[in-house]
Amino acid sequence: MSATCEYQAKDYKSDLKPIWCPGCGDFSVVQGIYRALAAIGRPPHEIAFVSGIGCSSRIPGYTTAYGFNSVHGRSLPIAQGIKLANPDLLVLAAGGDGDGFSIGGGHIAHLIRRNMDITYIVMDNQIYGLTKGQLSPTSQKGRTTCTSRYGSLEEPVNPLLYVLAYGAGFVAQASPTDLAGMAATIEEAIRYPGFAFVNIQSPCVTYGEEAQQIKGLKAISENLTALGHNPADRLAAMDLAQHYGQKLHLGVFYRNPEPAPTYDGLVRERQALLSKDAPPAENILDLFIKK
Amino acid sequence: MTTRGIDYASLSLKDALDLAVLIEEEAQERYEDFAAQMEQHRTPEAATFFRLMAQNEAKHGEELAARRSSLFGAEPKAVTREMIYDIEAPDFDAARAFMTPRQAMKAALASEVKAHAFFVAALPALKDAGVKALFEELRDEEVHHTNLVTAELAKLPPDSGLSDEDFVDEPAAQ
Amino acid sequence: MRKDLVFGMAGSGGDGIVSAGDSLLQAAAAEGYHGVMTKSFGSQIRGGESSCRVRISTTPILNPGGNLDVAVALNWDDFLKFGAELPVSGNTVVIYEAATKILEADIPLVGVTPLQVIAVPIAEMAKATAGTERAKNTVVLGLIAGWFGIGAVAVMKGIRKKLAKKGEELVDANQRAFDAGRAFAMEHPLKVSMNVAASATKGQVKLITDGNDMCAAAAIFAGCRFFGGYPITPSTEVMQFFTDHVWKYNGAVLQAEDEIAGIGAAVGASFAGTKSMTATSGPGLSLKSEMMGLASIAELPLVIVDVQRGGPSTGLPTKTEQSDLFAAAFSAHGDVIRPVLAPTSVADTFRITIEAFNIAEYYQTPVIVLSDQEIASRKETLDPIDTSQFKIINRVVPTGVDLVDYKRFKQTDNHISPISHPGMLGGTYLASGIEHVESGAPTNSGSVHQRMNDKRTKKFDPLKERKDLFEVTGNPDAPIAILAWGSVAGVCREALEMAQAEGINVKLMVPYLLYPVAEGIYNEFFQSVQKGLIVEQTHLAQTFKLLRMHIDLPKGVQSLARSGANPFLPTDIVAALHRLLSELQRSHEGQLQPQE
Repeated sequence: MSATCEYQAKDYKSDLKPIWCPGCGDFSVVQGIYRALAAIGRPPHEIAFVSGIGCSSRIPGYTTAYGFNSVHGRSLPIAQGIKLANPDLLVLAAGGDGDGFSIGGGHIAHLIRRNMDITYIVMDNQIYGLTKGQLSPTSQKGRTTCTSRYGSLEEPVNPLLYVLAYGAGFVAQASPTDLAGMAATIEEAIRYPGFAFVNIQSPCVTYGEEAQQIKGLKAISENLTALGHNPADRLAAMDLAQHYGQKLHLGVFYRNPEPAPTYDGLVRERQALLSKDAPPAENILDLFIKK
Repeated sequence: MTTRGIDYASLSLKDALDLAVLIEEEAQERYEDFAAQMEQHRTPEAATFFRLMAQNEAKHGEELAARRSSLFGAEPKAVTREMIYDIEAPDFDAARAFMTPRQAMKAALASEVKAHAFFVAALPALKDAGVKALFEELRDEEVHHTNLVTAELAKLPPDSGLSDEDFVDEPAAQ
Repeated sequence: MRKDLVFGMAGSGGDGIVSAGDSLLQAAAAEGYHGVMTKSFGSQIRGGESSCRVRISTTPILNPGGNLDVAVALNWDDFLKFGAELPVSGNTVVIYEAATKILEADIPLVGVTPLQVIAVPIAEMAKATAGTERAKNTVVLGLIAGWFGIGAVAVMKGIRKKLAKKGEELVDANQRAFDAGRAFAMEHPLKVSMNVAASATKGQVKLITDGNDMCAAAAIFAGCRFFGGYPITPSTEVMQFFTDHVWKYNGAVLQAEDEIAGIGAAVGASFAGTKSMTATSGPGLSLKSEMMGLASIAELPLVIVDVQRGGPSTGLPTKTEQSDLFAAAFSAHGDVIRPVLAPTSVADTFRITIEAFNIAEYYQTPVIVLSDQEIASRKETLDPIDTSQFKIINRVVPTGVDLVDYKRFKQTDNHISPISHPGMLGGTYLASGIEHVESGAPTNSGSVHQRMNDKRTKKFDPLKERKDLFEVTGNPDAPIAILAWGSVAGVCREALEMAQAEGINVKLMVPYLLYPVAEGIYNEFFQSVQKGLIVEQTHLAQTFKLLRMHIDLPKGVQSLARSGANPFLPTDIVAALHRLLSELQRSHEGQLQPQE
């Protein structure tokens, strides 16, 4: 398990230079992650950080953790394999809104119902940046992009309601408008014993709309604590989450006051129970003996 | 610009010096990041300027750290980096691709103004006279820095007023 | 006395014909015989046509056999649906349900006169003795015991054991049905006695299992401790075995939400340092291909079992075929070598699966075990396997000096770089699907891409020298050759024996390693060859084409290919060999008598 020595944010920063556009919100997200990890204090080599494909999915490489920049939309299955293979690891997954809610959208529900102790950070910028500005699953209806010349015809996915509806135990939102809050939220998500989801409104400086830049976000942001929201109240959280896109609520929407057992924890229990008095694996063929 | 868990009323001179060092450290790192971003995006003039700013911040930081150690030796720190966010460091979104030196300087100027505002805002809450004096000194230094950067800005040829976006290539799809 | 008998039985699912086959196989094993049982079904979940073949022999068995010696039809419609899977010849004894009201002279078998045809009032006897027609399968077992001398004691012993918990009444009912069948057989002796000789290995321990269970057991034996997968016929039993057993060895299974997540979790577990596996069939293989490419470029060990069925798409989900060869070798885009291994029987599935893990771990690569429906679902009796002969290879991990300025994809003499895993101090790196430099940092440099492609492909060169992954039997200098893999190999082994007995100078190659193509080994094999047959169950002659892509096959080597669910019989192969032989003789005569 973790060493007791103290870590600083810079201990989690790698030598790789980000390819992100200057001014990209993801610069602040990676900073928030460094800070959250420093506060938690797990040594980098005990952290596995998985992502898919997209601008934001480059993020594991910018940390000193074991990183896995995998294929589009598949960070969560890979993260789950890692967690089951070694539950001692701190497992983080991250990616963009397209990676998480479009191509990889089918995986979230299942990770939530398994409740593995994995923290999933989505850098939501309502656009496909890496491929140059196409419509994303969280793009607002009517938005014009290079693949929606006359305006999109679809409603956006609401990431917050989506994960709340599937029963995630920890759901929060953050943004670079409040870095301190972002770092604290990520830290809290990681500390939550079970699946935790943080949606981060991370502006795209190159393809993002004016209203979704920092200034615009600041104008619509409201702190959930300041609003007096009780994070133990799931229905209230769902009510607030309906304002996704109009308001930017920052902080914890929902934290299950009685966290459910995790899949990885249950697996350990099962292993402990069944491995007692198990015949050695070398004798596995004995199972086929017919007497 | 935010802080977390700083109790100004009970801030000691040691804590205040440590805080000042951390503020400089944060700014230095941000300028280095910006310089790296500019290098990454082939904008060498802005990179050079940001490196210069990083060196300045480092120098101030070292001076403050020297004062701290001469006054308090190796006494443990009571403040951490987690308490401060973007005090003197330019905001993350202050950088842009293809920044001109003028834009880079403006970003730096904004952060000096921001730092000045921080010290001004903190002053009324301070109780310790030594801390008060330090914050006033730091506040005034920011004024000095602001003047320096403004002077440098004035030396630059006037801005063309044209947008970079009219000249540069479109972003490359990955 | 016969040394070998092939039974083929068909009915509807409600007739319990597959259960009867199971009981017969187990009884035969208990009596020391070697046995193989295959099953084949219609597409209904329950109650559709179902059949099984049970081959019993006093010597080890190479395949499920050709023409049936004994055909049992509880219903002619069902029996006929299996066509060439249950071939009746002039040497077959046909037993059928008298209640079908078809006269012995009118049975609906076209173009063949069986050795003997017997209508038996099976349902009637079941009803009379057990009180239910459902006991027809037990009556059939009694008939078999009476006529062929198999299982007179062991069948009921097995049934008693199986039903012990359900009460004496049920056991007794079965006993009465069995005795009635046996008595009927005794009262109506066959025209030609077909009793099987007693087995020399009577009393020795035998194992019985199928290819899927064997594959999973081998994986656990090889140290596999994670399985990620999704149910798909006919591979699902591999996952089921894991869910039954892997926890005992501190491993885990994830039944994922889809095929992609299944392999994704396995890729993740491998990244975390655990030997891992997924299993699927054709449609799932298609879905997994992107992840296979990821594992190749990230150089992560992984075993993917593909239990082939008829394709494309849903194809024939319950029937065997070998048509995933191209997909196994080539699916996933980009320049990739991904080893493909194929077992040929339940018994060698053990060795080949271990080999797959060893290759995956040693070369840090995904490896496909290309099984097929027949091997996966057929049951074989096996003599105990000496497992101590199998060496387990684990991935090379960085130690001491490697961890100073660790480079995950370091260029080495053998192109294999020590691989760290999360938790290992000093070993942190970025695994990625994007091209990377030695440290793992992303790049889009063409020269690095060239070098890394070199590394990732040249590392397999030694694999292509592995002669132990090829079985060559027969006269090494023979001018005639057969080549076959997977479940077709067993048919060809028997054909080889038959041809040799006829004095044909022939040899057989069975490759266990299908990809990368071991050019050197094939060239050596084909050196003496003037005429040959590449035998396979693919419509497009994929094996033939894959070989031609890599080597210059002798001109006289031909393809003998057909679609799945159309099994080859050893006699088919021998007939083709006769054709080759006469072609060869003609061409020799041509040479001896130059044209004027």
